[in-house]
Amino acid sequence: MFINGFIYIVGETLNGLYRNRWMCITSTGVVMVTLLMLGLFMVVNLNVQHITEAVKEQVEMVVYIEEDADRATVEELGRALSGHEEVTAVAYVSREEHMGRLQQQLGGMLEGYDSGLENPLLASFEVKTADPEAVVGLASEFEAYPGVAAVFYGRGYVEDLFALTRVVQIVGLALMAGLAITAVFLVSHTIKLTVLMRQREITIMKYVGATNWFIRWPFFLEGLLMGFVGAVLPLGILHYLYRIFAQWIAANELMFINLLPLQAVISELALYLVPLGVILGILGSTMSMGRFLRV
Amino acid sequence: MIEAKNLGMRYGRGKQLALEDINFFIDRNEFVFFVGSSGAGKSTLMKLIIRELKPTEGLLKVFNRDVGRLPRHRLPYLRRNIGMVFQDFRLMEERTVQDNVAFAMIVTGSSRREIKRRVPGVLSMVGLEGKAKAKITDLSGGEQQRVGVARAIINRPAMILADEPTGNLDPGTALDIMNLLHTVNLRGTTVLVATHNREIVDRFKKRVLYLDNGRLVGDEQKGIYTNVH
Repeated sequence: MFINGFIYIVGETLNGLYRNRWMCITSTGVVMVTLLMLGLFMVVNLNVQHITEAVKEQVEMVVYIEEDADRATVEELGRALSGHEEVTAVAYVSREEHMGRLQQQLGGMLEGYDSGLENPLLASFEVKTADPEAVVGLASEFEAYPGVAAVFYGRGYVEDLFALTRVVQIVGLALMAGLAITAVFLVSHTIKLTVLMRQREITIMKYVGATNWFIRWPFFLEGLLMGFVGAVLPLGILHYLYRIFAQWIAANELMFINLLPLQAVISELALYLVPLGVILGILGSTMSMGRFLRV
Repeated sequence: MIEAKNLGMRYGRGKQLALEDINFFIDRNEFVFFVGSSGAGKSTLMKLIIRELKPTEGLLKVFNRDVGRLPRHRLPYLRRNIGMVFQDFRLMEERTVQDNVAFAMIVTGSSRREIKRRVPGVLSMVGLEGKAKAKITDLSGGEQQRVGVARAIINRPAMILADEPTGNLDPGTALDIMNLLHTVNLRGTTVLVATHNREIVDRFKKRVLYLDNGRLVGDEQKGIYTNVH
């Protein structure tokens, strides 16, 4: 009985897909279009996040030490910085090291200054924090510290960057949630139409004594298949588009746009889109038939 | 087999009773006509028997079980013992004759071998041998109703419920279908037919339950339609 029922259900699923092929293509298309939009948005959002994270990681604080600060004050400052809970790394850069870096950066332009003139540069501590956003508070804390000449962290620019990332994250989440809700709505309504077209069939099944699960299974599997195909196709399209876009970036030497690698993006998308598509398909097809089962 | 005691049905609060104080008993192997004009309550009674509706008053026992108290998950098993025949045939039109008949067996979990064995026999009994692979849309109304009867009897139910089975058929074909139902009855199946086809009722002279405005106004063995109307 079980095997016969199983063969029937699988056969019925394939038959149902064939008999209602236009409705199935429409439903799959709706899943596909909504997931493609969602996926496209996710790609943009993931990359914006990736780029801003990369920029954030470069945020560091430089504490310049007063020229006449004595050794004890400098050591005390160093201890205070490395003992701070937000700080992950502190590096002391002497005046000579600063000059060396400057010379390296400017190449031969500083030739002649290295001997006769006094080094005008200040020694400093370069400070890394666990949370890049902590530098703002940290800077104001150490500005008034004994021996500190100035604290630099890209004031203004860093605050703007943080505000922007937050806005991008919130807007991104809101848009994705909106798109997901729209997808559920569209899919369940499209599939409801396929179920409506087969209302007669469902009623007959009820009259001849089919159990609700016997009736539901083919619809369940159809929904699952439609949702799966509707999710895999946009993945393929996004894979193709992303590859083209990455090649275009490389060809135009826009290396400052540091894109996530193709495989990483696609596997991240697959992780969300495939289960979402399958759930959409199943929910859309089984939820919309509840009314017809109450015969 | 079916027992109604003070059975009543109201479609909604404050609405008029569609059936009121109905009492009858139908035994095994009986052939019974439910007659009455449109709106008399025949279809409501049929729907109560297959538990498409739940009685709002009184008691209705089918196969010795109070259908009003039957849990929802038991309904399929009740319906597997009742073959339904409808006025509008209710067939799956895009499928073949044998698919429509086999469908009732698949649903109840019969084996493929059993289905292959039994379907041709039933099709020949209803006079559709040679039409097994025909599409429903290619059949006449009478042939479609034969498929309906074949589907109703394929699982050898204890009872056949036919709701206006001849309503969409010409008189000659209607008589053929009734003869078919009569044959089914002679083979040991209880047959209940809701109809307002006077000729048919008068011709077969079976037990007749008369419904009028939701009330049972007559119950006669070998009755004829004209007794009340």
